[in-house]
Amino acid sequence: MDVLDNYKKAWKNQPEESNKLSSVEIYKMAQSRSSSIVKWIFIVGVLEFILWTVVNITIPDRFYKIYEDLNLMEYLNIFMGLHYVIILVFLFLFYRNYKRVSLLENTKKLIQKILKIRKTVKYYVFYNLATVSLGCIILNMFMFSDNNKLMKVMNPDNLALDIQQVITITIISQIIGLLIILVLLWLFYKLVYGILLRKLNKNYKELVKLTYN
Amino acid sequence: MQKNLEEKFLLDFEANQNIAHKICRLYTTNREAHNDLFQEITIQLWKNYPKFRGDSKFSTWMYRVALNTAISLYRKSTRKIKTQDISDFAYKIKSQDYDDTEELQLKALYKAIHQLNDIDKALIFLYLEDKPYKEISETLGITSVNARVKMNRAKEKLKNILNP
Repeated sequence: MDVLDNYKKAWKNQPEESNKLSSVEIYKMAQSRSSSIVKWIFIVGVLEFILWTVVNITIPDRFYKIYEDLNLMEYLNIFMGLHYVIILVFLFLFYRNYKRVSLLENTKKLIQKILKIRKTVKYYVFYNLATVSLGCIILNMFMFSDNNKLMKVMNPDNLALDIQQVITITIISQIIGLLIILVLLWLFYKLVYGILLRKLNKNYKELVKLTYN
Repeated sequence: MQKNLEEKFLLDFEANQNIAHKICRLYTTNREAHNDLFQEITIQLWKNYPKFRGDSKFSTWMYRVALNTAISLYRKSTRKIKTQDISDFAYKIKSQDYDDTEELQLKALYKAIHQLNDIDKALIFLYLEDKPYKEISETLGITSVNARVKMNRAKEKLKNILNP
């Protein structure tokens, strides 16, 4: 006889929970608010969408002056139109993936679907970072292609500055700014999603492990 | 319609709540967390109840929703639990017709299971509840063969903890 059989017998004979709830208590509980991981991922996701949209909207007009100076306003408007369409597509995908999570699935599928919501948000952030970087590169290409324009943009007051110096300062300050943003984002993701997804990732790995063993 | 559904749910759940309590006892180690998980399971069961079509037993359906909640959805929260205050009698299993040896065994068993990971916990729980491999593999989303292999490993782990 297996060692566990004895324990199994004890399990079978275990008394019912002595703290049973009445239907009134169950009713009250059922009406209360969930605090599940999925809900938190959804909330954090929505906050991220809001954050990036706010960043997009609150960019001061001053920032666009450089585009005007470089005669790029028309391109910028087309790009912004496209940008908002893409955000809407992301929002749609995000909401659809959230809605598709069903507890009636098996555990593996369920975890896959939860991780998929998070992935949509991740791609959205990647998209935003990519557009910022791409925008920077294009802008730089335009600026550095013409030294006169560069001086006009970077040095509107016509101070006596060395062109090499201006170029160096421009590039270094951009790199520092970008690094700060990336480090902050990385910390944010490590922290928030690390906490939210640690358990899911662990359990998911446990479920798929055997398939490859 | 809503009223009927509510009544039916309360009847079904009240009769089967012991399943949820057992799962809570496996996945948490104190009374507060037990109640918190129990509350989340209750919320999820009720939310998904309209989709319960009755082509399986309520208890079978409940195993899946409750386990999924414990494994994938639950995270400790600080919300107020919507039950009356109960003194901390936590996990003292008392019953007249339950002999001491079995009581000790049961305590040791719970203690040992607490040391397993979430998936092994589910496997051992379904084994203890005498669920067939088919149902176990369908609940967790792994093949029957994998369920068997994993189950054997989980049992070995458990035995090692119980009898080092």
